[in-house]
Amino acid sequence: MSTLNLLIAVCTAYVFFLFFVAFAADRLALQGKKAWLRSPLIYTLSLSIYCTAWTFYGAVGSAARNGFEYLTIYLGPTLVMVSWWWLLRKLIRIGRTQKITSIADLISSRYGKSSLLAAGVTILAVIGTTPYIALQLQSVTLSFSVFAAQSDGLAPQDQARLGLWLSMGLAVFTVLFGTRNLDAKERHDGVVMAIAVEAVVKLVALLSVGIFVVWGGAGGLTEALNRIDASEFGEWHTDRSRWAGLIFLSAAAFLCLPRTFQVLVVENDDESHLRTASWAFPLYLCLISLFVVPIAMVGLDIMPEGSNPDLFVLTVPLALGENGLAMLSFLGGFSSATSMVIVAAIALSTMVSNHIVMPIWLQLRPSGASVSGDVRAAVLMARRISIVGVVMLGYLYFRLSSGGEALASIGLVAFCGLAQVLPAMLGGMFWRGATRMGAFAGLTAGFATWLYTLYLPSFGVGTILPMAIIDNGLFGLEWLKPDALFGISGLDQLMHALFWSMLFNVVAFVTVSLVTFPSPLERLQAAQFVNIFEHSTNARSWSGGTAQTEDLMVMAQRILGAAEAQKLFLRHARRQGARGDLPAPTPDFLESLERELGSSVGAATAHAMVGQITGGMAISVEDLMAVADETAQMLEYSARLKEQSEVLSRTALELRNANQKLTRLSIQKDAFLSQISHELRTPMTSIRAFSEILRDTDQMNSDDQSRYASIIHDEAQRLTRLLDDLLDLSVVENGQVNLNMREGTLRDALDRAVSSAAIGEDGAQLKIERDSAKEEILLHTDLDRLSQVFINLIANARKYCDAAEPHLVIRVMQEVDRVVIDFHDNGSGIAPEAVDMIFEKFARVSDQKAGGAGLGLAICRQVMTRLGGSVDYVPASRGANFRVVLPYSTAMAAQ
Amino acid sequence: MIRATDRPGSPTVFHERRTYRRRRVMDAARVTPILALILWSLPLIWPQSGEGTVSSAIALIYIFAVWSGVILLTWGLSRQLANEMDEPPDSEP
Repeated sequence: MSTLNLLIAVCTAYVFFLFFVAFAADRLALQGKKAWLRSPLIYTLSLSIYCTAWTFYGAVGSAARNGFEYLTIYLGPTLVMVSWWWLLRKLIRIGRTQKITSIADLISSRYGKSSLLAAGVTILAVIGTTPYIALQLQSVTLSFSVFAAQSDGLAPQDQARLGLWLSMGLAVFTVLFGTRNLDAKERHDGVVMAIAVEAVVKLVALLSVGIFVVWGGAGGLTEALNRIDASEFGEWHTDRSRWAGLIFLSAAAFLCLPRTFQVLVVENDDESHLRTASWAFPLYLCLISLFVVPIAMVGLDIMPEGSNPDLFVLTVPLALGENGLAMLSFLGGFSSATSMVIVAAIALSTMVSNHIVMPIWLQLRPSGASVSGDVRAAVLMARRISIVGVVMLGYLYFRLSSGGEALASIGLVAFCGLAQVLPAMLGGMFWRGATRMGAFAGLTAGFATWLYTLYLPSFGVGTILPMAIIDNGLFGLEWLKPDALFGISGLDQLMHALFWSMLFNVVAFVTVSLVTFPSPLERLQAAQFVNIFEHSTNARSWSGGTAQTEDLMVMAQRILGAAEAQKLFLRHARRQGARGDLPAPTPDFLESLERELGSSVGAATAHAMVGQITGGMAISVEDLMAVADETAQMLEYSARLKEQSEVLSRTALELRNANQKLTRLSIQKDAFLSQISHELRTPMTSIRAFSEILRDTDQMNSDDQSRYASIIHDEAQRLTRLLDDLLDLSVVENGQVNLNMREGTLRDALDRAVSSAAIGEDGAQLKIERDSAKEEILLHTDLDRLSQVFINLIANARKYCDAAEPHLVIRVMQEVDRVVIDFHDNGSGIAPEAVDMIFEKFARVSDQKAGGAGLGLAICRQVMTRLGGSVDYVPASRGANFRVVLPYSTAMAAQ
Repeated sequence: MIRATDRPGSPTVFHERRTYRRRRVMDAARVTPILALILWSLPLIWPQSGEGTVSSAIALIYIFAVWSGVILLTWGLSRQLANEMDEPPDSEP
């Protein structure tokens, strides 16, 4: 009992270890550390999915029963792997390019995406694989019972329960790691990693047992070979038809089995991994089969008569007292069984959900698949259910068959059934003429023959096929006997079935293909599959042959210009040594032409253009996207150019405006100079004249004298004022002014300004309207300068307001961060064209009202700038409106 | 106008030496499985009974020797073909 308990403990620990490996690998893959996960070594090891428990245990059994025949099961796949260059490379390239998810998908995709074919292959695969899964369950329960036999044996109901637990565990593992994500490429890093680990366990286990048997049991290599010669193996006796037939069968199965197709094509991450696997996997197979004969020989020697040779791998170490080795061997068999079930379940579930469940589901849905997330969830669910369904189907088969012997041969029966896909598959890869109807006919013929001659009889005589048919043939026709079609008897049953099914298959496939006509989609897919290397080159490159050089010339002339294009073509023609001026469209030439064109129109566009003319290449979505990218870049570039040109034209406009202003200023300056000389000259003239009168006139009464003197005084004062203004402006402008900052209210400043402006008032009275309450704002500024600004504005209003009853409104508004004072009169305002000139020096609105030198507003603006505020002319509906703005920092609301 | 000989696709007859070597390596890779198949089919013509039957040990050694040879040959060729995997293959058969 303790051995069994230990076995269960080890087994559980191993399963947890596998869960951990798969989980860690998935995590690593999520983190993007794929390089190690997807190495050629892992790929090679994952291919060992081909070696199931049937090969692990069964090979020794087969060797014990049939001699060297077991080797054929490994020679076939070796031949396939060695054919990597012309066969597997193409298969994998097709798989990657066409995004193939399973062998059913491959067949359906090649033959015009036929869903009928896909469903057919899927059914074939399920029928062929279910017994195989049952076989794995059986091998595990058998190996358990070997250990149990040491203690108190394993009851049949325990075996059944063990099988159920095992299948449930496997289903859980597969659902967990096989349907994690719905990747378009159907890659499962965790599963592949776990399988690679199991592959190592398998190999190590079998090698350890072999080495122990040869060097421990048989006493060395030479001795072992001698004993083999002396044993029942004796001389070379192998059924010739079986030797050849089984090599073919195993090779076909290696290509067609859903699980090997899954790891070989679907899980392939990098074509170059195949390069390593091409020799490394044959090496693996070679090592796996190396010690089979010695183990079988020793087993036959030491085990009692009638013991099951299928379990020699376990029983021989046990019999020799090596419990640890037996445990390792058990783990090897366990690994073989579990990895097969896991991958087969993944592969089958993909096929079942994609080709049977989903089509039906989409048909049944009235609205169709409109929501993408909806379908995704449905696919995942379908896949999970399919996995559980497939595994449970295997368990059911295991329970129902329950007879050990019937299962033993089921491996080759399944091989033969799945090999029916081979003609359609190879034909599809290498023959463009293969049609959907042909593939369908071939599959049907081969499948039916296999079913009738091998599969149904394999359940045992009289189980499904009635005895009468076996004895007398179908419908009593002698030539339709399942084991002797056309009366040809004496062949081994398997070889008989293989021969006739493949013959009918190939003949039907070729004949129907020859007489039927493929649909356009089929023909397109045929070309894509057969010429896959021309259609899917890694680097974008041209395989010439159909290109029309003249058309290329016409196009090149349009883009490059006639002379340039002719020079280019001539150069290549000379280089190729061609007669005439046109070169042959070799890939070299096309590439260089594409480069030349690319420099003008962009690489992708050039590629698409050359592609259109050569016709040798379908424009892929990538090409179109590249074209779109280039177009987007050009659009962006032109948008930038447009923006820049807008900026430029704006700048030009500003410059033009500035120039106009300068010109006007220059004119005004000239006008001012003449004005100021006139202004200076007029008082000077009167001063000179009156002073001459005073000097030269002797008798002058005192009244006249004082009158003339006061005129001279007034004129001198006018001159002084003018000069003061000029001086003031230059001082303020040069920033030499010292601001006398102090506190006071705005009202005081305005009061002062109004009263100052009123001095010398004559003629029309300017009526000033104010709101004293609003003027109660405490300021911290140079109040004198501020008053000067106000005085100027009020004086201007008086001077220029041309209304009959001149009227000035001084409105104060306090805003969040500034104080605004508006001076609004009711005159006719300032002409729009003069607005941007009034704050310039020497500017005067009109010549006739020559009250001053035109410096007032210029000084105002300079002063306000110094005070941190501004003064502007704000256009109003009527009248002139000047706005003084003081920043809030200078304004403190009066308490 | 293009004459028949100028037609696109007229294959170049002579390749430079390296290209020529490369193509022969590909040929070798293609015939390797045929060679292996022939060698492993030899047991079919071994006498099954009477004189000259092959002993099991010899048969075993023969098959595994062929196996090792095939593995070594494939390994060597796959090394030679390392660069070809990335490049598009030639259309030449």
